[in-house]
Amino acid sequence: MWRSFFEELGLNVVVSPNTNKAILDAGINASIDESCTSAKVYMGHVEWLIGKCDYIFVPRIAIYENGDATCTKFYGIYDIVRATFPQAKLIHINIDYEDGQTEWNAYKKLGDELGAKPAAVKQAYKNAAAALKNYELELQAAQHALLQSPKLKVLIVAHPYNIYDALIGEPIVRALESLNAAVLYADIPDIAHMCEKSKTISRTMYWRYNKHLTGSIVHYSDKIDGIIFMTTFPCGPDSLAIELIQRKVKDIPMTNLVIDSNFGEAGLHTRIESFIDILEAKKETSK
Amino acid sequence: MQAYLGIDIGSISTKGVVIDADAQIIAHSYLWTEGDPIGAVKRVLAELKGQLPPAVDVVSVGTTGSARKLIGTVLGAQVVKNEITAHAVGTMSRVPDVRTILEIGGQDSKIILLNNGIVTDYAMNTICAAGTGSFLMSQAKRLGLAIDELGEMALKSQNPTRIAARCTVFAESDLVHKAQIGHKKEDIVAGICNAVVNNYLNNVGKGKKIAAPTVFQGGVSKNVGVVRAFSQVLGHEVYVDDFGHLMGCLGVAVLAKTKGNTKSFDFNIQEVSFVTKGKECEKCPNNCEIIYVYRNDDLLDSWGNRCERGVAS
Repeated sequence: MWRSFFEELGLNVVVSPNTNKAILDAGINASIDESCTSAKVYMGHVEWLIGKCDYIFVPRIAIYENGDATCTKFYGIYDIVRATFPQAKLIHINIDYEDGQTEWNAYKKLGDELGAKPAAVKQAYKNAAAALKNYELELQAAQHALLQSPKLKVLIVAHPYNIYDALIGEPIVRALESLNAAVLYADIPDIAHMCEKSKTISRTMYWRYNKHLTGSIVHYSDKIDGIIFMTTFPCGPDSLAIELIQRKVKDIPMTNLVIDSNFGEAGLHTRIESFIDILEAKKETSK
Repeated sequence: MQAYLGIDIGSISTKGVVIDADAQIIAHSYLWTEGDPIGAVKRVLAELKGQLPPAVDVVSVGTTGSARKLIGTVLGAQVVKNEITAHAVGTMSRVPDVRTILEIGGQDSKIILLNNGIVTDYAMNTICAAGTGSFLMSQAKRLGLAIDELGEMALKSQNPTRIAARCTVFAESDLVHKAQIGHKKEDIVAGICNAVVNNYLNNVGKGKKIAAPTVFQGGVSKNVGVVRAFSQVLGHEVYVDDFGHLMGCLGVAVLAKTKGNTKSFDFNIQEVSFVTKGKECEKCPNNCEIIYVYRNDDLLDSWGNRCERGVAS
């Protein structure tokens, strides 16, 4: 969304490359050690961008409609980046519905700061939102088609910034695909719809992204063979949400993979391989 | 006679069995890996060969354990399987109706749940090795006991001491405290055994239903004090097999047998030289660690690269 917003306004967008060990190591050095691996990766990307562009875009995303909150890292990342890299020139949006900062207000302000005309900003925002919507619909259609696959269907319950990361999440997807499983992602179905569905598991969970993922479990529960939770260490919301789901959802095999910055792929393969063995055996016997 | 070989190469020990067509063990070996998996496997093969009657023809090979891929390549194994599936299959060949497998090793612990002969769920300890064999080892040392004395001593206790078991560091300080205020040594030892069990059930077995028949494996299963503590907490008998340490290699031998892809195995592999080399790729910032395996100087296989740039040439 932000990408097409900037491009609509005629700006050039520089995007940092896929995460590699050098970026992760830079991020670890720029972070306090209690920070989660995902936030460390983020810091590594910011450091990579310094000197390669005029401004670095670091959004602050805190609270959406109905008090749906993000995690504290999303609240704080703008300030963390600002304090860690005082030399970096930042631009940001601030999404906080409780403070009247809706998504549109945030982008309007950003467009203003970039010196664009109000009409152009409005058009850019509209087009960007539409581009995002189209992209989401494409992903949803592709995932829906995958449900017809005769392969074992595994739902990955993970934040998009983890599972689509080349270093953190991709090895898991590759391992699953090499074992001939069809991989579905819990972050793909429509967020508003899924947040609603998550209420059958918990009415009090207030993290928007975890509600989204939880709702997808309800949505897919009768269409998949197994669930893999994938989380980075130490993620507060995930540790609570996963524990809750594992206690409440009973009839689907599930396993939990916790990734940290000094992970070994060997243990990962053992866990994934034996999990797929379980799913295969279960499918065999239920025939 | 046709027979099947299974080898389990763990970080600490290497185990091997040869089974016949009825999945009965006809040769077995158990020794330390000592940081040299290929050397350990050669020693295991020599022991197995010495136990086998001359007419035996090993027609299929399976490997498991953390060095399964390396040894599978070296031996040309038909089956390379993760240790969870291997343990389940091996145990079921001995106790067909097993429902729960508890395993506590030197540094890791697992639980495997089965129903009607298939694995339905499993869990492994994650980042923490509290309550495993190495914890027992260090506490035995602190109390001036040999590790194999712990079990018998625990059985003497009438009134086990309660020891905080959540974390090894706290357990140790609690242990010292309990000794200083005057608890008897056998009560403390029994307390440690209970702590291992409670720690395991809270961390690995959390929320899982442990149904009978239950089989207990791994090095810690040799400790009768821990076995008794498990039986008491679970309220049913916990079965320990004399061959419990061989379940991984037994399982993978059984899998090799069912695979059916037969090819006569040559025990003279001991005389072949295998060399491995680890190298960082250096073709991008990921610096994947690539492993090359050579057989008499010919490259046999390589792995560890994330992308095509690291393919061995």
